[in-house]
Amino acid sequence: MKSLTALLVVASLATVPAKALVSEVKVIANPTVKTTQISAGDLKRAFLLETNSLKDGTHVEPVLRRSGPAHEAFLRDFLDINDQALQTYYRTLVFTGRASMPRTLGSDAECVAYVAKTRGAIGYVGADTAAEGVKTLEVIPEGNKAERTLLSRVEPEYPQVLRPLRLTGVVRLSVTISQKGHVETIQVLGGNPFLAESATAAVKQWVYTAGRSSVTTVVSISFDPDW
Amino acid sequence: MSWQMARLGLVYACLCAGSVVLPAQEFKLLDRTVQMHGFASQGFVYTNDNNWLTMNTSQGSAAFTDFGINASSQLTDKFRVGAQGYDRSLGRLGQYHPSLDWAFADYRFKNWFGVRGGKVKTTLGLYNDTQDLDFLHTFALLPQSVYPADLRDATIAHLGGDVYGNIPLKHRFGDLSYMAYAGHRSDSLYSGYPYLLSQYGVQFKSLGGLQYGADLRWNTPVKGLFIGASRLDQDTTGKGADVNPLSPTGGIIPYFEYSRADWTNQFYGQYARSKLRIASEYRRYLRDQIIYDNTSENLTDVRGWYLSGAYRVIKRLELGSYYSRYTIVNFYKGALAAIAPNETDTSLPADHIYDKVITARVDLTGFWNVKLEGHFMNGYAASTYPDGFYPQVNPQGFKPNTNALVLKTSVNF
Repeated sequence: MKSLTALLVVASLATVPAKALVSEVKVIANPTVKTTQISAGDLKRAFLLETNSLKDGTHVEPVLRRSGPAHEAFLRDFLDINDQALQTYYRTLVFTGRASMPRTLGSDAECVAYVAKTRGAIGYVGADTAAEGVKTLEVIPEGNKAERTLLSRVEPEYPQVLRPLRLTGVVRLSVTISQKGHVETIQVLGGNPFLAESATAAVKQWVYTAGRSSVTTVVSISFDPDW
Repeated sequence: MSWQMARLGLVYACLCAGSVVLPAQEFKLLDRTVQMHGFASQGFVYTNDNNWLTMNTSQGSAAFTDFGINASSQLTDKFRVGAQGYDRSLGRLGQYHPSLDWAFADYRFKNWFGVRGGKVKTTLGLYNDTQDLDFLHTFALLPQSVYPADLRDATIAHLGGDVYGNIPLKHRFGDLSYMAYAGHRSDSLYSGYPYLLSQYGVQFKSLGGLQYGADLRWNTPVKGLFIGASRLDQDTTGKGADVNPLSPTGGIIPYFEYSRADWTNQFYGQYARSKLRIASEYRRYLRDQIIYDNTSENLTDVRGWYLSGAYRVIKRLELGSYYSRYTIVNFYKGALAAIAPNETDTSLPADHIYDKVITARVDLTGFWNVKLEGHFMNGYAASTYPDGFYPQVNPQGFKPNTNALVLKTSVNF
């Protein structure tokens, strides 16, 4: 049992860098915002009005809550600034003509409604808030290249030994990608051992874009004998 | 003093009322959203010796008022326009002559490159462009060694253009913000320099000239820390009339002065973490001015620095302190050298101001604050360049030390 616990801990640690930042708030965006992920740095720059567009060219407009736990959590977790300093910062920009005061709303519901109808709007609400008409953005920690692009993909072969059984299934692998983009190590997290062997052989040949450091991510591969 | 106190009370009451009823305004114009914001501040200064900042502070003075209002609109994702009007009265300065503070169009092509054109606030150090905005600062008076309130007009804005941008650096080295500008500076005739020279009979009709410079700021990877440097070059010309200084009975003659050199270097840094903020700046200002119609030359070398700290004790209360050090030397050549000796010994009270300051800022609401501040100054630095202490309001002569109590309140919406 101890060894099983240890294995689970190792597996979860290995995947931590690939996970989104966990917070008491969720970041929401108008559907016109193309991306589903945003780096913590880009999110901060957008809310500090240093940028009004994302890397993909999408225009963004930050929307803030006036106060409350979600507001405090967002400032703490993503902007690293207290409300007083943030207001002073915004007023500096407004009274020197460099920006308009961002929209500030009183409740999560108002925030969702405004973001849903406003092109490029990005806001935040409590993690449990229903967010209809908007998309939830995954916030990736700065420096974590979980969004590294896959340049070369080799499809796994369906194992001959399983063909009579016509077995379907999903294999989950923990994949460490080197700084140069090559797959360094693979750890099987789950799935049929025969499917996992085939998946491992294929993924080992995958090539990603280069990054600042090696990163670990989770890859899921589905198998179906009819594909 | 009683009428001043009554006036202060009236303004205070207006500010209180204003803070309650003035929310930020936003309206639609030609299907575009226009935001309006404004601010006002009122101060009261009392000094034990020496009148300060052209006010009769030794008797208590409330001639310390300013206000502004702006409107702006984001016309497209990349294009915005706006303007702000500003007015002030600071003792004998300003005298409620309103000015266009800024008015420009701004197009941000990319995050790393944008342009602005029109009348633009000049970026110089940490606070030059926000020095009028009392509600942004912990202190009622910014360190006068770097931000002299009586010389606001000399650096506050230019009519011209800026290029600016923000460049994220790779390998987690933070980001760089840059700004470069060029334009024309135009001083109010109710600012410190014309007022100082009025003691010699000089009456300016115009004062201003070319202004260009740049600012580079590095937001470092250390959370809350940024550092930067600014450079400002100017070529100013002043025209007017004067009582002939070499022959006072000779009547009024045309007055003319211009720059041979006029530059400022400023280096700054700020560290803000949680409730603490520490800032420091160093400024050197060198001015070589040909005065009195090519008959004389005055080289002024000003050096100033300060170290400040502020801590928000509770949500509504912030305490702060700074030490500010200002020195000035003057060299004279030509005809003026015969009557004005060089001033080079910065240990003399006549050539320096050392100011120790403590402040308490109370935020009564998110839009209304009151500050109580004590200044303990050594030196008065009275010279041919303005630095807060003017002979005209100190006819009895200067005393080496001045303690000042400043009470100030401001609102914004």
